[in-house]
Parts: sequence; C-alpha cells; structure tokens
Amino acid sequence: MRAKSFLFILACFIFAGTVYAGETPFSEFTSYQKAVDVQQIGLNDPVWDTVIPVRHPLQRQFLVLPKPAEVGVKEVFFQSVHDGKYIAFRLTWKDSTRNDSINVVNFSDAAALEFPVRRDPLPKYFMGEEGKPVHVIYWKAWRSKDQDQGFQTVKTAYPNMTSDIYTFDYSVKGKGTDKTQQEKEIFIPGRAANNPLSFPHKEIVEELSAEGPGTLTSKNIENTRGVAEWKNGTWTVLFVRPLAVNDASSVQFRIGEKMPLAIAVWEGGHLEVGGRKAVSPSWAEVKVE
Amino acid sequence: MRKVYNWQIGRNASYIYPENRPKKQWAIIFDLNKCISCQTCSLACKTTWTSGKGQEYMFWNNVESKPYGGYPIGWDLGILSKLGPQEWKGNKYTGKTLFEAADKDEKILYHLPEDADWAHPNLGEDEASGMINQGDWIATYPHRIWMFYLPRTCAHCTYPACLSACPRKAIYKREEDGIVLIDQSRCRGYRECVRACPYKKSMFNVETRVSEKCIGCYPKIEKGEMTQCVTNCIGKIRINGFVSTPDNARKDNPMDYLIHYKKIALPYYPQFGLEPNLYYIPPIHVAPSFLEQMFGPKVEKAMGTYINARNDHELQALLVLIGSTEKILHTFKVDEEYAYGYDEQGKEVVKVPITEPKIIRDYHDAKLNAYRQNTP
Repeated sequence: MRAKSFLFILACFIFAGTVYAGETPFSEFTSYQKAVDVQQIGLNDPVWDTVIPVRHPLQRQFLVLPKPAEVGVKEVFFQSVHDGKYIAFRLTWKDSTRNDSINVVNFSDAAALEFPVRRDPLPKYFMGEEGKPVHVIYWKAWRSKDQDQGFQTVKTAYPNMTSDIYTFDYSVKGKGTDKTQQEKEIFIPGRAANNPLSFPHKEIVEELSAEGPGTLTSKNIENTRGVAEWKNGTWTVLFVRPLAVNDASSVQFRIGEKMPLAIAVWEGGHLEVGGRKAVSPSWAEVKVE
Repeated sequence: MRKVYNWQIGRNASYIYPENRPKKQWAIIFDLNKCISCQTCSLACKTTWTSGKGQEYMFWNNVESKPYGGYPIGWDLGILSKLGPQEWKGNKYTGKTLFEAADKDEKILYHLPEDADWAHPNLGEDEASGMINQGDWIATYPHRIWMFYLPRTCAHCTYPACLSACPRKAIYKREEDGIVLIDQSRCRGYRECVRACPYKKSMFNVETRVSEKCIGCYPKIEKGEMTQCVTNCIGKIRINGFVSTPDNARKDNPMDYLIHYKKIALPYYPQFGLEPNLYYIPPIHVAPSFLEQMFGPKVEKAMGTYINARNDHELQALLVLIGSTEKILHTFKVDEEYAYGYDEQGKEVVKVPITEPKIIRDYHDAKLNAYRQNTP
C-alpha cells in the first residue's frame, strides 16, 4: 500500500516536472492564412466567422508579489489570421464592467500578448529574464477611450472640478503666458520627465520589452494597430502587425514556424493592475500556417 | 521578508529589503500644542509643488482635525481597523506591523481609499470628540471633550511601504538625506504605492497617469534650508533637520535632543513598522488613550515633560529655536539668556532670547511730558 502511494506521488512529480519544464506548450493555436488584406482587417470582419475561437484558460499571476487572490477573467478566446505580410490576433473575453475611464482609483481593463524576442534559448514565460528579453504588445482600455473621445485629462475625469489658476496658463495675458508648452509642462511632472504614459499616442496598443518582472520598458515604437470594442459584457480586441519588422528586439513571425506566446488580461473593475492579473499557465504556441 | 531593526518599536521587524539606512535622515518635528490649522503650510507646499494639472486634489502637506477629520477620509481608521487591536509591552511593540500582518499574497496589509475620499481635504474640520454639555468648561488636563490639528507630510520613512511595494523599483530613498522619491520617468501608474502607504501620502496624477508624492523639498535641503511647509509655518510649530538612530544620537542636535534625549517628540503610528520620520510633541489637552494609539506608550511621559517645560531651561531654549530660522540647525547651544543655532559647518545662523525681554515703562514720559495710556 505504502509502495503504491509512493509510486503515485512519484508519478505526480514527474508529470508536474514535464509540465513546468515547458516541454509541451499548454495550448496550441494556429494563425490561418487567409486571402484577405489583414493590414486593413476589422474587428468584426467576416473572416473571423471562418476561424474557430480557441478557448485558453487563464489563472491568477502566482509568481511575484503581490499576487491577486482571485482574478476577474478566467478564460479568453483566441483567433489569428495572416496574409503572408500581416498577422492579426483577436482576443475575446467576458467582462461585465467596462473600465476605460481614468480617475484617481480607477484601474483600466487591459490585455497583453507576450512573445520571446529569441526562441533559443526560450526565456521564462513570465516577463522574460535577464539577457533573454520578451516583446509585450499591450492594449489598455484607457487608450481606446483616448482614441475615441480625445486624450483623457483631469478635466474629463472630473468635469465639475474647478481650479482657480494654473501656472503660466492665465486667461488674461501677462507674465509667463508667452511660455512654450514645454516650459509650462515643467509643472506636470510625468510630462516634464518624458514618461511615455503621460502623452497621447496614435495607437491604442503599446509595445514594450522586458527582461524579468519589474523591468517592463516602453519601446516607443508603434508597429501594432489595435481595435477594441466592449459590447454586451464582452471585450473583443484586435492586434494587427507585420509578420516581420525592422527591429531586432521585436518578435518576427515566419510562415510554417511556431511562435511561443503568453496572454494576460486585467479586469479593471477587480482593481487588477501590474502583477495583479490573469495569465496563461505557461507558454502557449501559435503556428503560423 | 527580511528582519530589520526598528528602534521606534524596540525590536526587529519584517521588511521587504535589508536594513540600509541613509547617511543622514530627513525629519520634521511638530509641536501639536501650537498648531492652529491656518493651512499656511498646505498652501506653501501647494503653490511651490502641486500647482499643475492633475495635482488639484493633492496636498503633499495637509492639516486635518482629529479625531474625526482625515485626508483622504478615514485613512487612519481604514488601516487601524484592518490591523485590529495590537499590544505593546512596555516600550516594545509585541503586536504585528503592517508587513507582518500582510496576507500571504501581499507585501503589506493595506487600505485603499475610494475616489471620493480624496475629494474633501478638510472634512471634519474642528469636529470635537463629543458633545459639549451645558456647564462644561476647560478646567483640567486632559479636557473631557477635545480635538486637535494634525499637520502631515510624507514621513520619508526609514522602511518606506511605498518603496517596498513598487514592483518596478521606481521609488528610491536618497543616501544623502533619506528623502524618498518617485522616479517620474520610471513609474507606470500601478498605484501599488498608493495602496501600500498607510499614511496615504502617495497620490495618483490622472493627467500624467503616474504617481507622485512629497519630495521633502530636496532642492532646499540640498542648500541647507528647511522645507517650505516648515519655514512658512505662522505658528512656528515645526522644525526640520536630521535625526540619528538612538545609539548615534547627539545631545547638541536639536532633532536628537527632542526625540532621543527629552523623548518629547514621538513618531506617529510607529506600530505600522515603517519607522516614519515625522515626530510630534503630543497635545497635552487630549485624552491619553487616543494619543497612545497614535504615538505609542511614551506619550504620557512626553506630555508631562512638556507641561514641565517652564522649569526646564534647556528645553525651553530649544522650543524657542523652533521656527526662528530657515536654515537647518545641525547643533545648538544654550546659555543663560540665549539659544544659538549652528549650520553644518558650525557657523552661527541664529541667536534668540529664551525669554523675550520685558520692559515696563513709566506711566508718565518726562521727556515729552506726556502721559502714556493703554488704548484697548
């Protein structure tokens, strides 16, 4: 009896070992080649009716403190198509609250795709590791609302707020009103420090690189077009980018090859932000058909 | 979690990083007996540092009325009720600090205020601890019904919760003066610092989408001057300087003298385990039970020392040095008549009489042949 339990426990360890060594990808997806112009593809393009969404389970981020006790989104549906030049990823998940407005304690709904910059050796799936960077393609609902309704400011967050005066921003011409915008923004610290988050952007998707938890850095390039829509308690987000780009630290897709990827989703209504997120259990793979 | 020594609670305590004290530690002492909540400090800070878009609601320095006031509302009640009742044994805190009480998935026990909690910077102003009955009058210490004003900035803690909570290491503590700063180019606005700081002194800027906090007026500190909130204080209730650890305390350092020698200035909520560097001379009219929760077990003794200040020449001398100069005093000296303050190079920067000279003039001015009258 004792020997049997021992063997059972040993078998469990061996099984767990193979899963966590990442030898077998947790999910396998396919990016189907389609005769459509993927660069121009829309969120609800008929081509998406021809690709079956693959369910991908998500779990709470469990490697780095703080960890969410529970996450708001536990599964996401994945679709992908390409036309030989451009590749599109479409994520769909249920979220009953639309969190795309900024205030002092609001957190944004968001989703990200993570790819290794180099596949051999494969970086750790969670944010990469030193010398083995990952490329993160990150959509944030705040930026979708910025694109739809103009960059959200303190005035849009608190329309009924009054403030007597801002330095160098007087309604009457006087000392200091001739200052340049840059000079005025000395009083807006994030902008004065050139933080990319503090400025409007063309795309709703931010591209970043990371070499381990806490090292996420904006790449300040915009090769990915994003489209997002919240309807009837469901977010649908589309990421479209060229298969290959002229940047050594970006992911490059090749036809016929498999590319590891991981997915993360944040439910803003659940106060999820940063490491408080739902993640893929390990690297998944997408085969570019 | 690491073990670090926290002298304010008399024991080793848990922290995310190893002990790494700066060469000098920025600190402010406030005499709460003298604060009248004129908010000159709040405005001095606001006009200097937070006049920009997105900073409208920010008061890096605020003054609130205790027991009911708070900015953000309920910051203290929120975290105290989560921590629950805890014990001191003598001068040693045997309860749990916020790091020790953290859930296994968190770095620290925290309270996250709601959006509207930040919208009323002085709600509860002048609210007393209870109803005043007919016939109540102020005859004894402590008063039966009381309130007091509590001015607060960032405490530039020795073990900052904000710094330990930031997953990006965007917050750092300066080696030269212990000031804690958020790198505005590195922050990504996760607001882990806003969650973690029990004093709620990290604030999110919706215009820039990153967090900000009190910068301890570091450009002034670098010039040997005290912060804006300190130097603009009308009531001369504050002094800014550098505090040592108890084993390195110098009796001629005004901060060490009040904190370590006279033990009259006490850290607020030391039980949180952050070793904050705001120190308060407790208000002597307030119920000690409330003050003990806020300042720890040494509070009644500190109140006694303050009441007895009239018989303590040296302490009196130091209390008059508070608010007498814009320069940071590294040492002080007292003689029979005067208190002297010196800068880091040992140069005298201020000399003040301990008792203002009193001159009684005759009722009749013989030179002008005029009678002097008091005109009420």
